[in-house]
Parts: sequence; structure tokens; C-alpha cells
Amino acid sequence: MTDMPFVAMPEPDDAVVASPKAEHPWRLNGPRRESENGPRRAEAAHPSVLSTRMAVVLCPDWPVVAWGVPLNEPAAVFVANRVVSCSPGARIDGVRVGQRRRDAQSRCPDLAVLEQDTDREARLFEPVAAALTNMTPRVEVAGPGLVGFPTRGPSRFFGGDEALAQKVQETLTPVLADRGELFVGMADGVFAARMAAQTASKIFGDGQLAGAIGQPVIVPSGESAGFLAGFGVDVLELPDLVDVLVRLGLRTLGQFAEISANDVVGRFGAEGLMAHRLARGVDQYPPDLRRPATDMAVTWLFDPPTERIDPCAFAAKALADELHRSLEEKGLACIRVAIEAETEAGEEFSRLWRHEGTLSAAALAERARWQLDGWLHQARMGHAGAGRDPDAGVGSAIARLTLIPDEVVPATGRQLGFWGGRAERADDVSRTVARLQGILGADSVRVPEWSGGRGPAEQIRLIPAAAVDLGEPRMGADPANVNQPWPGKIPPPAPAEVGSLVGSVVVLDEVGEEVTVSGRGVMLNDPVWLVVGKTEHQIMSWAGPWPADERWWDPSSHRRRARMQVVLEDATAHLLTVEQQEWTIEATY
Amino acid sequence: MLLRDANICSYAGVVNGHATGLAALDPRILEAVRPTTLSNEQLLDVPEALSPLFPWGGLQRGWQVGVSGPGAWTLTAGMMVPSLGDEGWMAVVGAPLFNLVAGAEVGLRMDRVLVVDTPPAGQWGTVVAALLEAVQVVVICPSSSIGNRDARRIAARLREQRGTLLHLDGGATWPSGLDMKLTCQTQEWEGIGQGNGYLRYRRMKVEAAGRRSAAQPRSVSLWMPGPDGPLTAAQELATVTELRYGAWGGESP
Repeated sequence: MTDMPFVAMPEPDDAVVASPKAEHPWRLNGPRRESENGPRRAEAAHPSVLSTRMAVVLCPDWPVVAWGVPLNEPAAVFVANRVVSCSPGARIDGVRVGQRRRDAQSRCPDLAVLEQDTDREARLFEPVAAALTNMTPRVEVAGPGLVGFPTRGPSRFFGGDEALAQKVQETLTPVLADRGELFVGMADGVFAARMAAQTASKIFGDGQLAGAIGQPVIVPSGESAGFLAGFGVDVLELPDLVDVLVRLGLRTLGQFAEISANDVVGRFGAEGLMAHRLARGVDQYPPDLRRPATDMAVTWLFDPPTERIDPCAFAAKALADELHRSLEEKGLACIRVAIEAETEAGEEFSRLWRHEGTLSAAALAERARWQLDGWLHQARMGHAGAGRDPDAGVGSAIARLTLIPDEVVPATGRQLGFWGGRAERADDVSRTVARLQGILGADSVRVPEWSGGRGPAEQIRLIPAAAVDLGEPRMGADPANVNQPWPGKIPPPAPAEVGSLVGSVVVLDEVGEEVTVSGRGVMLNDPVWLVVGKTEHQIMSWAGPWPADERWWDPSSHRRRARMQVVLEDATAHLLTVEQQEWTIEATY
Repeated sequence: MLLRDANICSYAGVVNGHATGLAALDPRILEAVRPTTLSNEQLLDVPEALSPLFPWGGLQRGWQVGVSGPGAWTLTAGMMVPSLGDEGWMAVVGAPLFNLVAGAEVGLRMDRVLVVDTPPAGQWGTVVAALLEAVQVVVICPSSSIGNRDARRIAARLREQRGTLLHLDGGATWPSGLDMKLTCQTQEWEGIGQGNGYLRYRRMKVEAAGRRSAAQPRSVSLWMPGPDGPLTAAQELATVTELRYGAWGGESP
């Protein structure tokens, strides 16, 4: 793509553009822009050229809200044994994001422990986004719980930013129906608007009753940089960069923004420059890039049209890969994508999705799947309830799915390993996984994650490969994240095989009595024979028992068992478990 | 290193006018600059303790190896870890019983493992062939036999992609022969007594038999795990005969 807009290249002298004194008119008002339809052109000198004025609606703790838990009850959503989101009720008791599960439960014993379900979160967020489309066509969903839109038009229509914020709250309150909280922030640039919404939720404070609505935070036009200056650099959510900045003594965004962009790019490269633009209250990418050519859109026709999510998800994956490939060839990356669907009745639906970083193929596919899931879910709900709004959801089966890159930027790229290496190989694997899911079913390919536990079968949990990005390092795949002590855990080495094809077995002592383990976890007689079916094996040596009294606080899942290691006469070793006086072979070494 | 030396030599040879050809060069260099590599030179690293099992000291690319006996899964994981390196992936197909924790203990990276459900009887070929395109090592443990058509398809893809296919049932369900079969046999456990201690170190023997270059039977003694690491060489257990007749220099033990 040779006619790529030069202005979009993130490079050091962007700083010149940012400072109002030294503007380069040729960069902002070049011939390329003349051809564009132009309200933006009229504002060329205005600070909003550097960033679009945005409103952001933040529904905090959305992962918990999506589970339908009342917010004043303590509940938290966990990933890899760490809190990723908690209800205000839990926060009062001292539960914090990033806390380990044990710590959280020790602070708040009646904490409801929930697993993350991003599909559900996205599906339930769709009505919120759909309600906003009644006010403005360009609604951009950033993720479940976070949605934004440019305010220029709507603000003028509804009579100013305050009135618009009021209107947004009025529109969304019935949609949320007392289930969650809702905060509105407005500022120049997505990042500043998001921080404004977060400030609104902080001002509102924790511990208030659920379902309440806080005051919107509106940062006047042109004051985003000043508003952001007071925030700590950690809000950039780039741990590696933030770590260095703090060690350099740059603790707030204001201090970081004072450094010249040339120095930042020299020291931290493209990633540093992006962060610097955010700190200055400027959009990560200049906002009015040329609209990408429509031929970059990719389309999938369903024949026959489908109402099920599986074929949609499969199509979305294929489309995302195709789009990604074509963007890659042109050296572009997509930061905003429009997902469009058409039903067999001819209804069209469209929604914009934004991603702060660039959207990888996997992220793109995931968003398309979320969106379709949301529409299909609404369609089912709509069929169930009478008198439904024709705009509320897909009325019949989906016949066409289109992904349109709505905003693209030059790919600064993730560095590939020297010989193709990491990223490429992970892409290959992801493609193969997608193919196998097509053949064997969505959950047929899984990846291991560490989870704490005593028994050999409990220490690793398999999760569907579709739920993770195989190219990224995964927190759950690192055993360092599971470092709690598990009293009663069998010391390593771990057995090679867990589970056995034989049912229960009999363990006998020298005189043929059944071996029992007392309630205090003591062997009452020495095991000598192991009887499997009709074969008797002599036990040459044994160790244990390791008693495990698990979940004694919950009668329904309470388990008491004891484990014993035995070595038989052929030197094979097994792990036996006794529960309710019945022995089984749990594992084989 | 050798390659660079060779280039300098041949260049020097031309410059000096001694057009004696490659034949005049050091055979060591000739070896290094030969344009084709034979299959026995495309070796995958295996742990040092296991290298005596293989005809050229390493596993050949594109081979199918059967592994059976107690601890087969742990041995397989440990054997493939060096060849996977930092970025290689392993897929485990149709083996719900294998304990991945044991693999992790011998060094397998959990973020480079795919676990695939058992495919329906006629789909083994499609699934394994698809996996071999992206994954270096595929471990299978079919519960019913694989058809000739699937087997041919897998074998062809294996040759093409130079991957490794491991049969954890020892090849019992494979319609034709495997390149190599490893049989594990536990000899003794250390650290466990009569109601005390725990299973700590395992001394085991691995026997290898195969066809073509691997036809000669070989065996090694291993600690898996042992006091010095998860997979280390062990001294052969002396037999009674050796003890009686003084295998260690005639001294009676």
C-alpha cells in the first residue's frame, strides 16, 4: 500500500504536532485531507485534531455483574487463583484485585468464588451497547463493561456535555435494571475519557448501594493533559515500561509528559511513544486517519443461514485470520473493527469494537464471537418476549457476517523471533487448533493450567484452547503462580498416569483382614496384599497414609480420604486412595 | 565454525591457483560442506542419559517411536524436552490418563502443550496429520487400532514435516512396524520403606529395539527421578553372577 498516509507514522517529531506553538500545517491540512468530507478540517487548529472528544461509559466490576450477583453481596471472579474483579460488597471486606484466592477468602469467608466467563460478560453487555446506538451511530465497544462514543454530534444535539451525560445515564439505567453501576466520563481522547469515568467511580466510592448512578466527570475541551497529569504512571497498564519510569523518578503522567517525545522514542521505542501520547492527553494514534478502503472488508456467507453460535464462531475465526493476513501484507494493523451481520430477513446490524493495542487475529475473532453471541442471545430473548424492538437483536438466522477494519494504523509490529520463531509458530498452532475445533468440536483441544491441589489429578486443570491466546505468555501456565502450601500433598515425583481402568481394589494385611485407616489418619494394620479383580499382588513396601480432609466447611462437597503409596513385587508403584473404606488405584508411577 | 573454515580454504585454493578440488581438503571439512545431509544426520537432541539407546546418539527426525511400560509417559516427556527447546510444541492426543504434572517435573513447558480429545475411529489420520503441520512432537495413545488409510496418511505427513510421532501404547494399535520401540521396566524404588519414607528415586531400565539402523538391541539404566536430577544415567545393577565372580576386578564384595 504505497499511498499510506505519512502522517500516521508514529515518529519522534509527532511532538511538534502536539505542541500548539509549532504546528506543521502541511501535516494537518495536507492535500489528502482536502479530499475528505470535512467537519474535522474546519477544526484543524483546535486541540481536538489530536484527539477525538469521547464519552466513555464504564460499568465497573462487570465480570461480577455479569454473573448476576447483587453488588452488595461479597463475590469475586478469579483467574488462575487471583482476583480479577470483585463486588463492592467484597471490597468493603478488604478483597482487592490481584489478591490470591486464599487471602481473599481469609478476609471475607463468605465470598462467592466465580470463574471468569468472558463470553457471558460480552453477551450481557450487548444490550448496554445497543441502547446507546439509539443516541449515536458510532458506538465503540472496548470490551465487556467499557463502551465509548465520539461526543461531537450527540453533545450538540442534546445540548451540551452535561445534558448528554444526563441522557446517557437516563437511557442506560433501565437497561442495567439495578444490576450494576454505571459511570460516565468525557474528555478529549479515549484514554482521558476512560480515566474520567474511572474517577467518577472513585468519587462515588465503594460501599454504596448497588444500582446507584454516580455523577459524571466531564473534562473541559483542551484540558485532558492537565486532567491526566495527576495520575500515577501505573494507569498506563504497561508494567515493564512503568517499572522503568518509576525507577527514573517519573511517577505521574504529568512528569512523563514533560519529557520530549524525541527522548522518549529514543529510549523506549514505539511502545514508549504510544504511552507518551496517552500521557500528554493525545490519542494513541492521530484520530482522523483516512478511512480504509472498503475492499479490505472480509465477508462470510452462511448457507444455510444459522442461528447457532458454533458456525458463527468458526466463520469469525476464519474471517479474522483472512483480514489479519491481508492487513499484514499491507503493513497495517487494525485498532477498530466494525462487525456487521445481516439476517436472512434482510435486517442489518453493525457494531464497532476498539482495542487500545492493535487487534491480533485471535482478539479479532474473539470480539466477533462475542458480538454474534450477544445478538443471537438477544434474538432468543426477543422471540421469548412479545412486542420486541426490531432494533434490539437479530430477528432470524444470520446469513452474512462481515468484518470491516474501521481504523487502521501502520503496524509497528511485534518483533518476530530471529528465525520466524515464537509468533509465527504460535500462529501455526492457533490455526491448527481452529481446524481441529472444526473437526472435533469447540472444547476438544485444551491447554493445561496450573491449579492448586493435593491429589495428582487436581494440580493441573485443562481449559479450552479457544479461551486463551496461544501466542501470548499465559499466567496460568507458570507454576510460580500456584505457590500455596497444600498440606497432605504427596511429595514429588508425580505419577505418570492418573486414574485407572480397574474399579475398586482390596487391600489386605498379613492375616487377610482388610486394611483400614483410622479417623485420625493412622494405618491400623500393615498392608501386605493388593487384590485387583482376582489377582493378588504382594506389597513389597509402602508409605503413608497422607490423609486429606477437604472442604469440611461445605457438607455437599466435603471429602475425606487418605492416600498410600505401594510398591508391588514387580517393582511397579501405585498410589492408592481410601474413601469411605473403599480402596481405589488413583495413579500409577 | 567448520563451515567458515571450509569457505576460507576453498577460496584460498582458488586464489593460489591450486585448483585441486574439494578432494584435496580435510575430510572433516568435506563433511561439513557437503550440500546434502543424510537422514541420520538430522538428529534431535535427547537427554544424555538416553543417547546410548539411539543408533547415532539422537532421535532421528520423522521417526515413529513406541514407548511402553510403567513410567512411559514421564520418559517420553523427558526424552522430548531437549528437542522442543523454548518454542516447540507438543500435542497429546487421546490419552486422558497421562499426568501432565509428571511431564512438567521432567521439564516440559505447560504453555507449549496441547491436549486433544480422542478422535472418532476414522478421524485419527486427519487429526494427527493436521497437528503435525504445526506441532513438532505428537504423542498418541489410541484405544482401538488405527486403519491402514489413516496410518499411511500420518506416515506421509510425518516424512514431509520431519516431526516425531510417539506411540505410548508401544505401537500395539499401529498397523505396520515402528522405527523403534522403547520398553520401560522399573527395577527398584528408593526412599520408601514399610510405612515410612516415600517414593523418591526410581531406578529403571529402558530397552530399545527397532528396525534398520536401530535393529541392534540396546539398553540403558536410568534414574527417573534420581538424586542428581529428573532423568540421569545410572550404573547397571550388578547381576548375581557378576557379584559372585567379581565383575569389579576380582574382589569379592
